[in-house]
Amino acid sequence: MSDDIRPEDLEKRQDGRNIDSRLGVLAGEGAQQRVKGIDEANPSRGLLRTRPSQSGVNAESPSYYGQPAIKEPVWIWSIPLYFYVGGVAGAASVLGAAADVFGGERMEGLGRRCRWVGTAGDIVSSGLLIYDLGRPTRFLNMLRVFRPTSPMSVGSWVLVGSGAMNTASLLFAGRRGWLGRAGEGAAIAAGLLGLPLAGYTAVLIANTAVPIWQATRKSLPLLFMSSAMAGAGSLMELLPHPKRDEKVLHLFSAMGKVGELLAGVAVQHEASRLEVLVRPLKHGPSGTLWKAAKVCTAASLALGVWPGRRKWMKVARALLGSAGALLTRFAVFRAGKVSASDPQTTFQPQRQGMGAAEVTGHTHASDGKPFKFPLPVLHEASALPRREIPAARHLESELGPEPPTAPTP
Amino acid sequence: MGQKGFFTDTTLCIGCKACEVACKQWNQLPDDGFQFTGMSYDNSGHLGSSTWRHVAFVERPVPSPTQNTAGMAFSWLMASDVCKHCQRAGCLEACPTGAIIRTEFDTVYVQPDVCNGCGYCVTACPFGVIDRREDDGRAWKCTLCYDRLGEDMTPACAKACPTASIQFGDVEELRERAHRRVEQLHEKGLDAAYLYGADAENQPGTGGLNAFFLLVDKPEVYNLPPDPVVPTMKGKDAWASMGWGALGMAVMAIGAVLLGREVAR
Repeated sequence: MSDDIRPEDLEKRQDGRNIDSRLGVLAGEGAQQRVKGIDEANPSRGLLRTRPSQSGVNAESPSYYGQPAIKEPVWIWSIPLYFYVGGVAGAASVLGAAADVFGGERMEGLGRRCRWVGTAGDIVSSGLLIYDLGRPTRFLNMLRVFRPTSPMSVGSWVLVGSGAMNTASLLFAGRRGWLGRAGEGAAIAAGLLGLPLAGYTAVLIANTAVPIWQATRKSLPLLFMSSAMAGAGSLMELLPHPKRDEKVLHLFSAMGKVGELLAGVAVQHEASRLEVLVRPLKHGPSGTLWKAAKVCTAASLALGVWPGRRKWMKVARALLGSAGALLTRFAVFRAGKVSASDPQTTFQPQRQGMGAAEVTGHTHASDGKPFKFPLPVLHEASALPRREIPAARHLESELGPEPPTAPTP
Repeated sequence: MGQKGFFTDTTLCIGCKACEVACKQWNQLPDDGFQFTGMSYDNSGHLGSSTWRHVAFVERPVPSPTQNTAGMAFSWLMASDVCKHCQRAGCLEACPTGAIIRTEFDTVYVQPDVCNGCGYCVTACPFGVIDRREDDGRAWKCTLCYDRLGEDMTPACAKACPTASIQFGDVEELRERAHRRVEQLHEKGLDAAYLYGADAENQPGTGGLNAFFLLVDKPEVYNLPPDPVVPTMKGKDAWASMGWGALGMAVMAIGAVLLGREVAR
């Protein structure tokens, strides 16, 4: 394997292992870890939020020196940008297939342009995703397995399929004979694959331990998909297009923008179940991005219904719509990072019964204490029978009035 | 083979960090730098890509019946944290390359030659254990000494632990031992002792942990989540929502085409 560390490399640099290569063989499980000089200990750690040597154990909701309980997502800017580009590619493919099937001959040009946008989007998406990988040379490992439990695995296959179908339809559609028919079929397949391509990214981030993403899992896909429609419509309006397509594009992007605003309200509502959860959407840089996204989308919609049809208004409308779609993704992404860095955002929802209890319907946390104000469980799951596990009988300083326990359905 | 795991009894931990050192030495992991955190005696902070055992130090202004602190309202909590090797492992279910596997010992192992560093497992772990090393670009975590288990040896940290705070063995047997230990502590007057993640009943969200703990305070005090859940359990909701979204999107695209066509005439 090319990643192996050779002893002579080690002598060249102090790599923080302090292993004399003449005395020790580097065969350990972690010996392959590449080191670029002695690393900073947890370089992301800032100043402690609690007094040293006092971890706040007596607080109502304690934490370990305010340290994050889960890891912050390691993804960089290329990932939210991909959420936008992939969404645009997916939504454009969908519109292209709809134009092919229901648009008649008049819409042929629109279908073809949509597929061009879809193909270009798929290619750019792949580039952005590969750029983010820790080991870009191994991007093909994404296609080693198909794992239905992993939205990223499902999404990789969807993206590859969508790219293949879009390309095939560009190459063959319009030809005579069976090749042409195959190309038309590929266009429809690309449209069908465009639906999950626009939405799976929301499932991907909802399917994580990041509190705000997990808590908004029901509305996030709707936000991302409507945002994809708004983004695709706005981008196609910016690109040169004949006058007869204008109405379709305007309708498509306007529907997307309306959906985006409504789903944005739904996301915020879903996060508002607990103050700590919704905080990143209201305050700080992520809150600013979130508000800016809404303002751009709303302004774009307003320009659409404004009387007068001047050129600059159309351009401004499309630019604002694109900005709204782009900012939405970055806002959600930043909010997730903020959400992961605060331990209370992880702990408090779980104490309120928004952790595993939401799915399994049990009534006690792992330390044997009942949840506070348990939220209604979503489906009719009877509480798990609890064997007599010796649970903690907690310290007097913590004993308050017994909170009400969940009514068993 | 059987299910192998750890039972970490934090009441026996003396904070010597032998497990941290043994783990680093056996696995030849790079160091964490030598910074002072100010968090009591804890200078490694949290589990990470090159920190597979981490000892937490908590100084509580609360007396403990099992610790003699000369009448002061004070007690120590020390706990050696490690990857939990969950029955329903978030990282394993999220890994798109198949790099993360369940071994014949029922442990969760990352194959470094397959991992492409997508970072999805990092966000999927409800305990914040696995991490991607910046220099290296791949995700790493405790392997429960997969290489040693194959040779019928005890994992390095358990081997080095001088107080039997870290006990290694078959999970079933460890559970029995742990239940006995909790009863023993209750008899001694340490009412707060309980097991964290011992089985699926105790922690339905993860299906029980192969590396479970005996704790004497809220899990949050040790930086452990009180009710963790494998993200996949909730992912279904998001997929369902996406299905409705797809339906709406298809209808809207067709609607836009039909309406736009009408107008274009």
